[in-house]
Amino acid sequence: MIEASVKRKLGGFSLSADLNDGGFVCLAGRNGSGKTCFMKAIVGLLPLDDGFVRIGGADVTRLPVERRGMVMVTPGSSIPHLKVDTHLRWGARLRKIPLDERHVSDVKAELGIDYDGRVRTLSLGMRERVSLATALLSSPKAILVDEAFSNLHERDQFIGTYRRLAKESGIDVVFSTQDESEARLADHLYVIADGRTQKRL
Amino acid sequence: MNWLRAISLAALALLLIPIAVLLYYGLGPFRNPAGYSVAVFRSIELSLFSSAVAVVVDILLFTPLAYYLARGKDRVAESLVDIPISVPHPIIGVALLILDSPVSPTGKFLLGLHINFYNTILGLVIALVIMSAPIYIKSMQPYFESREASAEDFAMGLGAGRLRTLFSVVLPDSYDGLASASLISMSRALSEFGSISIIAYYVLQYPFYGVSPASVTIWELFSGNMAGGLDAAVTASAAMILVALPIALAGHFVRRRGRQP
Repeated sequence: MIEASVKRKLGGFSLSADLNDGGFVCLAGRNGSGKTCFMKAIVGLLPLDDGFVRIGGADVTRLPVERRGMVMVTPGSSIPHLKVDTHLRWGARLRKIPLDERHVSDVKAELGIDYDGRVRTLSLGMRERVSLATALLSSPKAILVDEAFSNLHERDQFIGTYRRLAKESGIDVVFSTQDESEARLADHLYVIADGRTQKRL
Repeated sequence: MNWLRAISLAALALLLIPIAVLLYYGLGPFRNPAGYSVAVFRSIELSLFSSAVAVVVDILLFTPLAYYLARGKDRVAESLVDIPISVPHPIIGVALLILDSPVSPTGKFLLGLHINFYNTILGLVIALVIMSAPIYIKSMQPYFESREASAEDFAMGLGAGRLRTLFSVVLPDSYDGLASASLISMSRALSEFGSISIIAYYVLQYPFYGVSPASVTIWELFSGNMAGGLDAAVTASAAMILVALPIALAGHFVRRRGRQP
């Protein structure tokens, strides 16, 4: 369950957004509507002028990014010099979470990661799969996916699988998109325009 | 564009006139064997050695600072970095003398540990670190700034602190930036004269006993303290340029252009 109410002025743009939900949440908005800023504010990459962020009931507003238990995934998120298998385990190793090898290979198979080698050598879509799987395997409280579902083939199916895997691990997911119709893949829909959110579903 | 190019290249030519003069006269009309004697080469050797050590110290000590400036938005720290090279350089040599002399508490302390800056390789290297570190930092900082932050943001979300992110995510992917900044700051260290002419006019330590850094040796030849005179000073300068130029040029060419993930 993510509870966020954030205010932040950025030049002429002002973000004043709220989110109160768990599960699989769709955040829809046009370019420049404030999707990325809102997500950055939630994970702690953008300091707030005012407001709070709570995750699972715990207030994390004053915690640095690395101690919030939330990870943001964007199309550029991968760590290029790591090999796929090291990458997948990297977050879990940092958080000292023991990984069940069967779970790792299940996640790999379900998310269509059947390649190896350095992440740098992979295509954009392949890297996105690796980053999303890494985030999942690091067992955070929430994953914020900023347009990182966009370069994938069989997208709806992938999102459906990701949703199931996240639910099984008890991880909340917020994903951003430009297309409101993608709410069909989510439990909840928030629309953001001019830095303001509105819950639709 | 053509006019811009013409003006730019003319300005560049003006800037390079002194180097061209030294190379032409040093290798041509003024050529004097005293300018490429064993003594001169020993001093170039000392300069190369001490500058290389200084750069290693720069990398170890100041890479985190450069990263901190690139990502931390600390304007105060950023403006303080340049100060050591914005004062007359001999003053830094004087400061090191005071730090190391028995008149100061630090000097008494260092003396107790038998640590001595004056006319030692240690003093030479410390002066070169101070004079080259700002160049190193100011070369690494924009390199770090030009990197997409998303991989670092991702790593922090996974639980890595800033320092861990620097060592595990940023540096393994920054060899070109490190090599470039190292070479550029090494060429800065090689050219230093002011501070080292105070703290280490010559070194009284094995294996460089009685050897002066190259810039000091050129000064010695020029001032007539060392047999040779102007001819030899110009010849030694040309030799020094031939050694230093490839290092400076390499510094600019090892950086990958237009890096994108």
